[in-house]
Amino acid sequence: MLKTDLIAKNPMGAFSRDAAGHDVERMGLVMARPGLGKTAILVQIALDSNLRGKQVLHVSVGQTIEKAKVWYDDILADISTNAKHEELAALQLEVSRNRMIMTFNASTFSRPKLEERLNDLIYQDIFRPSCMIIDGLDFSTVDRKTLADMRELQKEANLSLWFSAVTLREAQSETVVKHDMPAPCDMVDDLFDTAIMVQPEAGDNSKIFLNVLKDSTGCVPPGKSLRLDPTTLVVWGTYF
Amino acid sequence: MKKDLEKVRNIGISAHIDSGKTTLTERVLFYTQKIHAIHEVRGKDGVGAVMDSMELERERGITIQSAATYCTWKDYDINIIDTPGHVDFTIEVERALRVLDGAVLILCSVGGVQSQSITVNRQMTRYKVPRVVFINKCDRTGANPKRVTAQIREKLGLNAVPIQLAIGLENDLKGVVDLVTMKAVYFDGDNGENIREEAIPAEMQAEADAARETLLDTVSMFSDELMEAVLEGNPTEEMIRAAIRKGTLALEFVPVMIGSAYKNKGVQCLLDGVRDYLPAPREIENTAFDLDKNEEEVILESDPDKPLVCLAFKLEDGRYGQLTYVRTYQGTMRKGDTIVNSRNGKKAKVGRLVRMHSNEMEEIDSAGPGDIVALFGIDCASGDTFTTPDISLSMSSMHVPAPVISLSITPVDNKAQGNMSKALNRFTKEDPTFRTFVDHETSETIISGMGELHLEVYIERMKREYNAEVNVGAPQVAYRETITQRADFNYTHKKQTGGSGQFARVAGYLEPLEEGDYEFLDQIVGGVIPREFISSCDKGFVGSLAKGALAGFPVNGVRCAINDGAAHSVDSSDVAFQLAARGGFKEGYMKANPVLLEPIMKVAVEGPTEFQGAIMGSINQRRGMIIGTFEEGDYTVVEAEVPLAEMFGYSTVLRSLTQGKAEFTMEFAVYRQVPRNVAEVVIAAAKKAQEKKS
Repeated sequence: MLKTDLIAKNPMGAFSRDAAGHDVERMGLVMARPGLGKTAILVQIALDSNLRGKQVLHVSVGQTIEKAKVWYDDILADISTNAKHEELAALQLEVSRNRMIMTFNASTFSRPKLEERLNDLIYQDIFRPSCMIIDGLDFSTVDRKTLADMRELQKEANLSLWFSAVTLREAQSETVVKHDMPAPCDMVDDLFDTAIMVQPEAGDNSKIFLNVLKDSTGCVPPGKSLRLDPTTLVVWGTYF
Repeated sequence: MKKDLEKVRNIGISAHIDSGKTTLTERVLFYTQKIHAIHEVRGKDGVGAVMDSMELERERGITIQSAATYCTWKDYDINIIDTPGHVDFTIEVERALRVLDGAVLILCSVGGVQSQSITVNRQMTRYKVPRVVFINKCDRTGANPKRVTAQIREKLGLNAVPIQLAIGLENDLKGVVDLVTMKAVYFDGDNGENIREEAIPAEMQAEADAARETLLDTVSMFSDELMEAVLEGNPTEEMIRAAIRKGTLALEFVPVMIGSAYKNKGVQCLLDGVRDYLPAPREIENTAFDLDKNEEEVILESDPDKPLVCLAFKLEDGRYGQLTYVRTYQGTMRKGDTIVNSRNGKKAKVGRLVRMHSNEMEEIDSAGPGDIVALFGIDCASGDTFTTPDISLSMSSMHVPAPVISLSITPVDNKAQGNMSKALNRFTKEDPTFRTFVDHETSETIISGMGELHLEVYIERMKREYNAEVNVGAPQVAYRETITQRADFNYTHKKQTGGSGQFARVAGYLEPLEEGDYEFLDQIVGGVIPREFISSCDKGFVGSLAKGALAGFPVNGVRCAINDGAAHSVDSSDVAFQLAARGGFKEGYMKANPVLLEPIMKVAVEGPTEFQGAIMGSINQRRGMIIGTFEEGDYTVVEAEVPLAEMFGYSTVLRSLTQGKAEFTMEFAVYRQVPRNVAEVVIAAAKKAQEKKS
């Protein structure tokens, strides 16, 4: 009951399936300056797949396993308002069964390494993700080839692949108007199907918007926005 | 004699297994002239290290019991508790931390922050123990203290900054650069006992300058005086030490020292560090509960003239009877004094008072605040508080986890039977996580504890120290039962066939309890069950909890409510209502959809990256849930939750899968429902065992 409710209410569902409820695989990107809730948004995108019984691989670059785990538990608790204690605990357990966290050092992360790990999991039938989150990759130092490689991997493995990126400070102001990718992501724009920019309203940090800059899958028309609760970092409501 | 309390340090040395704790302690005792020769832990001379006083520890090369040792360094009294490294013995670590004022956390320069270090660090944080880090084994191939320091910051979340740099690494380790004095320190002589201070080697000057700047930047946050001096460019050594000390005591800074105990490098500097940066007993706030004032918290003062408060933290049965290790927090304990055990009010007289040096001892007349000493002939359990007779204070009780594994032991002959009882009696007093009872149905003695190794060690100790040879049964997982839905019952117990009869009717419901093991709810109105029999119903339910009807395991998490019933003016009795409650419980229990719960262990497997696939496969085969993997360089950690029942013999499997290159640790995490197919097998086996018994 709680689960179906959460799936139905999750506004991030539009980023993993179409109106008929079929999964739409893609490579997506969530951009923001530090501290605006990129990880929280990725977790909510992952939770949509996760709650629907799909397996999620959460790759965290430079963070600990514990921190990533806490994100899921906290977001789940925040969106399950009014849920009973045992109901929430059971749901958290179910989510963690369908989720695996992989953490890498910033210097050791690469496509071959990730692919090797992924194959380890798939061949032994331990885990078969249909959604993969890569959080914490530094877009200012990562080269185009790595991302092009990841795009290839996404297509080969036929999964949804989401990244987070920190935008450069000088690129943050005019972007909403232009609907272009801010630096440093502008160089790899073409590799992504979907791009979301998280921004506070000018001069007001209590209002945070998710602006859809691009969505070539056609599930969400570009230019649409969502609101983010600045204290819990939970995305609520419908598109406007 | 009034001792200068400022010159006392009570410290612990803890770390991951095989990080070299015992070797380091051995060196400390040598440099403080407590021992006059060095014996390696697994040395060829067969003597073993002094701190590993038990035969078994010497043979296995691991430290099981923490021995308390006293030594003197440059006019400072240092009490050292050598703590065990394996997770199965964490109760010992926790108990030791409780009585310490500060600690040295040892990390291996190759292995870095390993899973046990994380556990130990968490425990130190829980008990607010200021710590210094010693990165040991810098002589080993692959040593990288910088990487380890980065890990301390990332994985342990500590504000750790080196106060030393290594001069050379691996085979070239020559000494250390002290960033406070800005001098190079070398350790000459056969055992590194002669310290030679020189100018910093020219090729290291730039690195040392940069490292010192980082250090000053960090610690000047704790001292305005130092910050000003740094800005003016003239900080003194005293100012820097004072700032490091201030940050360390406030648990906001952790100084990192470097060396190799085995190669006799850096140990004396570490001792200076203990003196300079770890707290004196007076600098730590200790609290106790006032039993006369509804357990109100009181702060203890390190004043030798105040009433005595001390804590028994460890018991040992030696040649001269029971030896009780105590830490005094307040007041003075003198030979001949009368003290009271605040748990049971029993009075005792202080007989012999000794200061321990591993297993040799030194007689003393009195012990003041901050002292760690041993008493003879005091009957108590570990964790008991002793005070002067006129006050009633108790130190906070320590968190004791419930055992998760049990096995049956049968003595091989009559002689062994007696010895076994003696041994068990002592072990259960010493270690609250080790429990024992007799199964009345099989008359077997069951021992239970925190893991396979935990029980194995006690079985070996029984054999060696008590000459009690026992046959050991297969290890049994401590399953539990619980209910998942509400169910009503209405039961009448009736035996009225002439003579004095029995009559009682109890009605109510059972329902799952969110937190806690058991709750009794009395919703009787109008006195349909007379007041005096309400507690009989409670007793009856409690009696039913010991053995669930599903598979005979203890029942947890049940609320038993009664809301109706009937009594007979003559035939109703305490026993009749107890039996009716039992009957009601039985009736409701199976309707409440009971399920089986099993202990789930948090497992961390560490090994070379090339084996990550194999490790994950092995966990997957054991019904394990992989939480995540952590990869750094060629080294990987797989964290998982695995049912205890699947972990028997895992060490052998892991060894053969990874050519002995991976190791694992586990600790109890939570009780969780057993999957249906597995539960069927467990229940069938339990029923078969019960039939066999009857």
